[in-house]
Amino acid sequence: MNHNTSGKANDRTNSKAEDKRDVQQGTLALMILKTLESMGPLHGYGIARRIEQTSDNLLSLNYGTLYPALLKLEQEGCIASEWGVSDNNRKAKYYKLTRAGRKQLQRETREWEQTAAIVARFLSPEGENS
Amino acid sequence: MKSLRALLVRLAGLFNKGKRDRDLAAELESHLQMHIEENVRRGMTPAEARRQALIKLGGVEQAKEQYRARRGLPALETLAQDIRYGLRMLRKSPGFTAVAILTLALGIGANTAIFSLIDRVMLRPIPVRDANQLVIFQWKAHKGFLNGEYSAFNDCGERGVGTTGCSFPLPIVSKMHALTDMFSSVIACAGPADLDLSGNGPPSIVQGEIVSADYFSTLGVGAALGRTLGPSDESFSADPVVVLSYGYWQSAFGGSHSVLGHTILLNNVPFTIVGVADRSFTNLSPGKRQDLWLTIAMMPRLKISWGSNIGSMENWWLLMMARLKPGVSLEQAQTAASLTFRNEVLYGTKPYAKATVDPKVVLTRVGDVLIGRRGALSTILSLLAASVGIILLIACATVAGLLLSRAATRQKEMAVRLTLGASHGTIVRQLLTESVLLSFLGGVLGIAFAYWGVHAITVLIAGGSSQGFPYVIAPDWRILAFTLGICVVTGIVFGLAPAFRSTRVDLTPALKESASTLPGSGRRAGRFRLGSALVIAQVALSVVVLIGAGLLVRTLENLRSIRPGFDVNNILLFEINPGRLGYRGAQVRNLFSELRDRLAALPGVKSVSYSSDALLSGGEWDETVHVEGQPAEPGVQMNLLAAGPGFFENMHIPLVEGRTFNGTDFEQAPQDDAAAEKSAKQNPLPLAAGLGVDAAKPGAPVNVLVNEAFVRQYFPNQNPLGKRMVEGGSSSKATGEAWGADMKSQHWQIVGVVADTKYDTLRHEIQPVVYLPFTSSYGGYFELRTTADPRALISAVRDVARKVDDKLPLTSVTTQTQEIDELMSQERLVAKLSGFFGVLALVLACIGLYGLLSYEVSRRTREIGIRMAIGAQQRDVLRLVVGEGIVLAIAGAAVGIGVALGVTRYLASMLYGVHANDPVTMIAVAVLLVLVALVACYIPARRAMRTDPMVALRYE
Repeated sequence: MNHNTSGKANDRTNSKAEDKRDVQQGTLALMILKTLESMGPLHGYGIARRIEQTSDNLLSLNYGTLYPALLKLEQEGCIASEWGVSDNNRKAKYYKLTRAGRKQLQRETREWEQTAAIVARFLSPEGENS
Repeated sequence: MKSLRALLVRLAGLFNKGKRDRDLAAELESHLQMHIEENVRRGMTPAEARRQALIKLGGVEQAKEQYRARRGLPALETLAQDIRYGLRMLRKSPGFTAVAILTLALGIGANTAIFSLIDRVMLRPIPVRDANQLVIFQWKAHKGFLNGEYSAFNDCGERGVGTTGCSFPLPIVSKMHALTDMFSSVIACAGPADLDLSGNGPPSIVQGEIVSADYFSTLGVGAALGRTLGPSDESFSADPVVVLSYGYWQSAFGGSHSVLGHTILLNNVPFTIVGVADRSFTNLSPGKRQDLWLTIAMMPRLKISWGSNIGSMENWWLLMMARLKPGVSLEQAQTAASLTFRNEVLYGTKPYAKATVDPKVVLTRVGDVLIGRRGALSTILSLLAASVGIILLIACATVAGLLLSRAATRQKEMAVRLTLGASHGTIVRQLLTESVLLSFLGGVLGIAFAYWGVHAITVLIAGGSSQGFPYVIAPDWRILAFTLGICVVTGIVFGLAPAFRSTRVDLTPALKESASTLPGSGRRAGRFRLGSALVIAQVALSVVVLIGAGLLVRTLENLRSIRPGFDVNNILLFEINPGRLGYRGAQVRNLFSELRDRLAALPGVKSVSYSSDALLSGGEWDETVHVEGQPAEPGVQMNLLAAGPGFFENMHIPLVEGRTFNGTDFEQAPQDDAAAEKSAKQNPLPLAAGLGVDAAKPGAPVNVLVNEAFVRQYFPNQNPLGKRMVEGGSSSKATGEAWGADMKSQHWQIVGVVADTKYDTLRHEIQPVVYLPFTSSYGGYFELRTTADPRALISAVRDVARKVDDKLPLTSVTTQTQEIDELMSQERLVAKLSGFFGVLALVLACIGLYGLLSYEVSRRTREIGIRMAIGAQQRDVLRLVVGEGIVLAIAGAAVGIGVALGVTRYLASMLYGVHANDPVTMIAVAVLLVLVALVACYIPARRAMRTDPMVALRYE
């Protein structure tokens, strides 16, 4: 679904660095949850990199905003964290999805798809005629 | 749910900050290292790798700040910070803080105290199940509807008997019972009656409410112990039983469970205690004291004075209520009830009235009508609520004025904060936090004041009346919530204007100059104008409160100076009711004359008399009387009093014409024993107290006396002696044949005229009164004229009574002056409290005036110094400062008098002998206020006078 969003962005812009898009309000949490679902437990830097890679480097993510978002998700009980050791033997805080987080992801995915479908209908003239 | 969880976690985030900060630093550090390593792998130099990583993160400290904002609750943290800062600022100026807190505490405390009284007395619902289904019956009719007996117990707050009322006769209650498609049940009650109780310690008087048997089941009131009254107690032959109120059970029986089955004597009749009512159910009419309940069927045995002929259409004595059937509207029920009422009253087996009086019934939900003692108290409480409301406003204005003065000294601080980037909102929030903080501190102290105040007021109310204060006031969450609300509102009200003003600072001059610049800038003038307006408002409001207090105090003085028409000094009063103990006719009269002889023999007693009622006891006895030469219909309501031998001489009421009663008059008067025996055949009760209306010697006139007011009204410029009148109906065919024949021939003949006296209360104008020879078969009052303090004789009098009959309780033992004091208890209470609040308002207004002027003096120190340096005398300085204050005080007084002229008319019903816009009171208050203001101005003015010009000029 992330691909879907960024794919749309791709239609309209060339992948020049200065045209990178900011993360839309409210979508960052969804991206974090989806990333953790597909990748399993991951540290903050890993999540940030993964989000950028998934968007084909089209999204410009301010890493500093990632941590408050992680904290919010943790306060809401969607993710849990614990200290662990990274691949190159560095101490890092790992985040993982909780059961509540999985449910939240499903719900938000569904809502986002609906919203996207509705917006798509409005934007495509053919859809309007049919 | 999710956000609640987050909130809790964030609350927890306010604590243990150190560890969390270290955690975050470690996480960000590991993030940076990973990023740097990757950048290096991509071929950057280590320095460039680090720079890029930091750029991407958006700065470590910024990231941390964002993170922290999310971690805790920033609003809460700012609030805590504001409070800490506020407390520090308050500590820095303890004088200002103390005055402000004290002022607010007085305002808030007074309001809390009065609110807790109002809440208890006026806002509590009636303690029954589904009170909104419960309706009460009221009758309405044209004048002249009532004849016969009528008893009201002040449940509906009715005043006198006229064209509306809540009392009904028993036959009407039975008819309403038949309306089963409208009402699921109809109940009746009356009282409480004073009952002599013995069988549980020494004899005492208890308040017994007479109720129908389904009273408790209809109201939905259960028993705390045993059972309540039920259908088995309904019949006249039922075993006499009583149900105790919870409070009485606790106080008289110590809450003992063994009371069930215990027998007590009520008016010498044995009653079995079968239960105790629910604790929450104290009474139906708020504030009425009820110790026990018994059924209407017990009335014949109890021999209560107003309980004769209880089954008759002629005796209206029952309060009637009903529970509406589900689905029946109030209007439907009212139409049906009104029709039934009209039919029975106009066309029943014994028609009671003529159709011209247009009788009807109005149904109202009980909560709106049953006011009981609330009626008397609500006037006082509304008045007090208005006074304390104004006092709170004055307190707000005072503190706002103080804050305003202080704002000037904090101008520099505000300017610094604004320069450093604080937003106006931040500063207003900080200042409002400070003012709400002040009002909360005031509120805490205020609750202490309120606690003390409530106690003082209830003692005042209880002390002035024999009934005591029937409510228990205890602090509860409603009152705390009220105080909390009032603190917040107060804090915002007095803080808002000064707070906004503080942010309107012109930065550059404020930073450069000190607070004591020379006057003349527009800003200063503006601030002063607001301060002056506040002082004028305070003075005006306090003038309003003071004028109200002045009028009420003068009312009390006027009442005190009324001459009642007889000598009230050195009279001991008491009441006996031998009728309740089974005394009959001649026995009662013998008892009275024996007691009179024995009491007269006591040392210290000058003379003794007795009568049906004591003068100025608040009680009255009215009958319809037809006076010779007046139209036969509808007759006049006449105040009556039955006087024993020597009554007028004993009370020092001068004889104007003719003679007073002699022995023959008493013998010639109808004797009650005949009546008692006759009525005993249909009903075991003798007729009501006073004279017997049934004639023993038909044809012989009863010799009576009248007062001068009677002569003025009915026989002006004629000789009243020998004139006649007839009591009850000359048209008494409507009221029953048994009386009619006797009544015709039983007329009264005037043999003497005595001077006017006040009859029931001091306030009422003197009305025509007829004095009858005392031939009671029931009870009456004794009056003992003593040589010294009558109270010293009380125990001797009790001894005498005990020797005559040891079962006979003396009730209402008091002196005539105490009796009169009790009549004025409400006026005295109101005068005291409003006087107290008036002084409070005055003090607060003076604090405000003083505060403003001393601030003015301190900020104009330099100006005054210059004035003195160039030749101004101390006198001129004094005039400068005092003049400013006096102008404000006079302006305030003028505004206050204007407001008072508009609002004092709401007091009119409480006043006596003084007009609501009494100019003397208004001018006196204004003069008092200006004098006190002069003192308040003098203190700062003296400080200004003593200004040393050299010191003042070097003062910067």
